[in-house]
Amino acid sequence: MSIGNSNKLPLETLLPAAVAFGAGWLGDWIFDGGSLLRQAACASLCALAVAGVCWWLNYRKRCEEQACRNYFEALCRVDPQSVPADTAHLGLPRPPKDPLWKHLGEMAGERLLQLYRRIEDLEHARAAWEVRCLRAGERAEQMEQALAALAEPILAVDEHDRLLFANRGAAELFQLDMDAALGKVLSEVLHCRQLAQLLLSTRRHRSALARTEEIEITDASGRGRCFKATAMNLSASHKGAQHEGGALVMLRDFSDQKNLQKRNAEFVSAVSHEMKTPLAGIKAYVELLADGDVEDEATREEFLQIINSQADRLQRLVDNLLNLARIEAGVVQVSKQPRSLNELLEEALRVVQPTAEAKQIQLVADLSPLYLGVLVDRDMMLQAAINLLSNAVKYTPNGGRVTLRSRLTDEQARFEVEDTGVGLSEEDCRRIFEKFYRVQKDKNMAQGTGLGLPLAKHIVEDVHGGRLTVESKLGQGSTFIVTLPLAGHA
Amino acid sequence: MNKRILICDDEIHILRAAEFKLKKAGYEVCIANDGQEAWEALQRQTPDVLITDCQMPRMNGLELVQKVREELHLHDLPIFMLTAKGFELSHEALAQKWNVLAVLAKPFSPRELLEKVQAVLEEQPAPTKC
Repeated sequence: MSIGNSNKLPLETLLPAAVAFGAGWLGDWIFDGGSLLRQAACASLCALAVAGVCWWLNYRKRCEEQACRNYFEALCRVDPQSVPADTAHLGLPRPPKDPLWKHLGEMAGERLLQLYRRIEDLEHARAAWEVRCLRAGERAEQMEQALAALAEPILAVDEHDRLLFANRGAAELFQLDMDAALGKVLSEVLHCRQLAQLLLSTRRHRSALARTEEIEITDASGRGRCFKATAMNLSASHKGAQHEGGALVMLRDFSDQKNLQKRNAEFVSAVSHEMKTPLAGIKAYVELLADGDVEDEATREEFLQIINSQADRLQRLVDNLLNLARIEAGVVQVSKQPRSLNELLEEALRVVQPTAEAKQIQLVADLSPLYLGVLVDRDMMLQAAINLLSNAVKYTPNGGRVTLRSRLTDEQARFEVEDTGVGLSEEDCRRIFEKFYRVQKDKNMAQGTGLGLPLAKHIVEDVHGGRLTVESKLGQGSTFIVTLPLAGHA
Repeated sequence: MNKRILICDDEIHILRAAEFKLKKAGYEVCIANDGQEAWEALQRQTPDVLITDCQMPRMNGLELVQKVREELHLHDLPIFMLTAKGFELSHEALAQKWNVLAVLAKPFSPRELLEKVQAVLEEQPAPTKC
């Protein structure tokens, strides 16, 4: 036999031969020179000994076979769960002692252990995949919740242009009944053709790049809103291959930005117009003088005065613009000190008095007898008061009245400029503090920069933490009201 | 009879400069402070030329032009626009829609204004009765 200890003779061969040899030798020694009978007895003894040995060997072999059967049966009965991973051999039955069977048994046991370990690995992998699937499901749910909660409307269609998803923002904007709309062809449920077309063309072009379009959409309240719609393809991959997978669009409301751009353009246009008007005067009169059209001294003097006044007007406009820009940018130097509000108002009255007299407007000072101490930048607050008074004088017809009133109210200093002018409409009251806003009616009554009131509002509110409001009715005059914190409370 | 020109602008110094230049050239000049005033003047007398600003209170220049063109007897009245919004208005559209002869942008040249008015009035065969 070559299995097991191949360098040794097997026991089954050696043992009967050794027994026969030993019995023969013993018979020869006992019955040396004996009769034929003794020799026969000796041979029988030898044969008996050999037969005994053979029986013993056969018996031993059956025992080994039984042990092997028991071993493999025991191996089959091993519970994989009871086999410890690191000391797996401890959970297996002991292999048979026979070298041949022992080796085969050990191999079978080892193979079984390997299979057990493989099963165990697969079990771990399955558990890990289950966890991943669970987490992926949770993430998908969270993503859907996040998309649903986004204020930006989002819509998605599948590869057949059927509505796949719409978040709350989209449902509200397009007034979609989600239960009915989901799964329907988008063009059937979406009233915005441009958006439906964008999604459709994005899906059909299958471009990896997002496409953006500006779309105007009327919302549920009937208000026109401007959106930037960004559409992209939803590509689905399966076994490494890309498949058509619908498209998604996200809408970003930029109505405010658009309005800001519009206001900026209007502001630039208004500045341009306000600057061109005095410039037109200067250029026209300079040309008249240069062309020698003016022959008499009085007219020449008149024209020079017009040029001068238009240059002043241009300078005021530029100064106001710069002041306003500096205050808005917060770069203006403010020097606040405790001042008497009444003294400041009296000074403002003196400044506008000549203009009022020229229009026969009665300028009434109704100032509080109390000391109204306010913490203000004198020059700036004086400018605000002058602007309010000048505005009142400008918009009050000849022979009217402008009243400047100051009071102490609720731990605040308050002053009012009341006129008997043309009054303001509701829209005028709402927009009167906008830059370059001019009251629609009787514009020709006044020639201003359109910046006096916005500047006054900035000075009162942004620089001094006060409040400037207007109360007015068309045809009944206007009252501009300023409240300022008292010096001790500022 | 001198040709009559109606100038409409809410800026008094612009009116004065244009009026001075045109009067010196021998034209009769009427002035209006806004579109409404110009429209009322047009109802009283028909000028030979209308020069109007665009941005004015009560009735702006475009509204005035529209009203003028809707009125049968003013349908062929030569109109010039004199405006600080010269770059914002479409000259071609104004010419095509309302037959505005030219848009002069402020700051303007009184000399150029006079030349344009003279060119138009010289083409007219006979003085218009005001």
